[in-house]
Amino acid sequence: MATLDELMQLPGAMAAFEFRGSGELLEQRIAYPERINESTLDLLAHMCAANMSIATMQARGWEKVTHMKGFYPIQEFTLVGFDWSVVVSGLDRERFKDRGKASLPPFTGVVLANEKADYEAAFATMEKPEPAP
Amino acid sequence: MSMIRRILALDGVNVVCHFRDDGYLLEGYGLMARDDMARLAQFAHDYRRMAQGNADQLAMFTGMRGWTPPHGWILRGVAQSVCSVGNLVCLVDNDEALLNEIMLELREVSHW
Repeated sequence: MATLDELMQLPGAMAAFEFRGSGELLEQRIAYPERINESTLDLLAHMCAANMSIATMQARGWEKVTHMKGFYPIQEFTLVGFDWSVVVSGLDRERFKDRGKASLPPFTGVVLANEKADYEAAFATMEKPEPAP
Repeated sequence: MSMIRRILALDGVNVVCHFRDDGYLLEGYGLMARDDMARLAQFAHDYRRMAQGNADQLAMFTGMRGWTPPHGWILRGVAQSVCSVGNLVCLVDNDEALLNEIMLELREVSHW
């Protein structure tokens, strides 16, 4: 599981955050408090939770109608805004589900400045293999 | 040659489609049936509208500039991802795709 501090090491990282599946912000790191604050992150987290749910529904529908595979479950959602991007991941939750765990970890997310954003690095950090037990 | 075809030449890109502002498929290339390309175009159009609405509301509620208008979005599944900028959408293989390059190319071609 990528930690918030690891996500803050990504190029252009402005903030990193964790949130529940229902959208509530749990924890955050903010690099530029004059640009983005906890209140904004809370609303962003709710928006991302909604998008993950809708995208998951769409992936399920898409696989059913086209018989293509590899979309469901959605691992990450990225919105590329005008100046900022947000990347959120639910991969750790899927790993917990695969292991039959009832209690799931939070979603993680990072806000990036577009001019430096490295989406591949963000996905690689969020998808890094879990350490061996 | 259609300009969007050059996106298909990028590593990991399996399908690329160009759609009208109402979601109608204008052209599509790659390993997918025409009916499914039309579905992909409609999906991308709908998702774009939703993402645009979400970004607008985020900006309105928080007062934070820099989210709107959004450039695009990426939905990353287990093995495949869908990327979209403007009226272009492409379907890519996660293991092979260089997403930074693909997003840059989509952005450039979307302006033509």
